[in-house]
Amino acid sequence: MQVTFRIQKYNPETDTTPYYKEFVVDGVDETWRVLDVLEKIKGSMDGTLTYRRSCAHGVCGSDGMRINGRNRLACSILLKDLNYRNVVTLEPLPSMPVIKDLVVDLSDFYKKYELVKPYLITKTNPPEAERLQSNEDAEKLFESAKCILCACCSTSCPSLWTNENYLGPAALLKAYRFTFDTRDEAPEERLDIVDTQDGIWRCHTIFNCIEACPKEINITWHISQLKKALVNREI
Amino acid sequence: MSSKYYGSRGSGAPSWYLQRVTGVVLFVVAIGHYILMHYHIDSGHTYDAVLARMQNPLYKMLQITFVVIGLYHGLSGTWNVFRDYKMPGWLSWTILGLLYTAGVAFAGLGIATILSF
Repeated sequence: MQVTFRIQKYNPETDTTPYYKEFVVDGVDETWRVLDVLEKIKGSMDGTLTYRRSCAHGVCGSDGMRINGRNRLACSILLKDLNYRNVVTLEPLPSMPVIKDLVVDLSDFYKKYELVKPYLITKTNPPEAERLQSNEDAEKLFESAKCILCACCSTSCPSLWTNENYLGPAALLKAYRFTFDTRDEAPEERLDIVDTQDGIWRCHTIFNCIEACPKEINITWHISQLKKALVNREI
Repeated sequence: MSSKYYGSRGSGAPSWYLQRVTGVVLFVVAIGHYILMHYHIDSGHTYDAVLARMQNPLYKMLQITFVVIGLYHGLSGTWNVFRDYKMPGWLSWTILGLLYTAGVAFAGLGIATILSF
C-alpha cells in the first residue's frame, strides 16, 4: 500500500518561510501509525525531517502535531483512522514558534504550567505514614491526572491564539488537579493565580480543547469547576 | 511573579457571574416582552397604547431595569471580546473608557426617554 504525506518543513537557518514537501511512501499498511510513517520517511527518504517522539505509545506526549488539520498524537493515530487515500497533511502545533519542521518551542507552555504550581503544597507537619485520601476524593482527580502535557489542547484554543498571555487549558487543568486534591493545603493560593483577566476568565467554553485531547479529558468541565469555586469564593 | 501571564489582578469572578445572570434575566424578560407585545390581548403599538402602559410605575421600572441590564450585558460582553486580544495598556484603557462613556450616555438617554412618558 502507498500513502502520500505532505509535511510542513522549516529550517530557520536556511529557510525564510515554511513550505510543504510531499513524500510518497510505499510498503505501508493501514494499521501503521502516523509515527511509523514518519520514522520510515526519516529513515529512508529525508534524514533532515525533524519531529519529537519518545515513548511512541501515547504516554509521553512528545509527538503532538497537527494531522489533517487536527491536533493529535502521531503515535496514537492509525492510517485507517485518517482519510489516507488522499494526502495526509502534517504541520506543527499551531500558535507556537517553530524550532524546526514539526518541532515547536514549548517554553511558554511550560512556564504557564509552572505558574499554577503543579505540585502538592503542604503547610502542616507530615503524618507518620502517608497523607491519606479517600477513594471518592481520589476519583475526582483521576480524569485530570491523565494529562500527558502534549500541548494539543492549549494550541487548539482560539483564546490562546489571540492572547498569548492566557494561561490555556493545560495549565488550568493542572490547577484543577491540585486545587481539588484534598491533600493540598494551598488551594486559595492557586485560585489566586488563575483568577486574573488573563487567567481562567479568558476561557469561553469553546470546547476545542476537549476535541483535541488525545486522552479524552473533559477539560472544559474541569475549568468550569474552578470557575464555580472562584464565584463561590468571591460572591 | 511575572505580570506577563496575569494581566489585571482584579478578580474576574463577579463580572463573569453577572454576565451570566444578566443573560438569563434578559432571556426571560425578552420572552415576556415578546408575549406581552405580540400575543397579549391588550397589546398595542400605537402611541396612545404605549402611553397608557407607561403610566404604570411598575412598567416604567421594568423598562428601566431592561435598559440597564441590557446595556451592562452588551457592553460587558463587548469588553470581554476586546480582552481576548493582547493589546497595549493605553489602548485597553481607551476602549474601556469609550465603553463606560457609551454605557452612561445610553443609560441616561434610555432612562430619560422612559421617564418622559
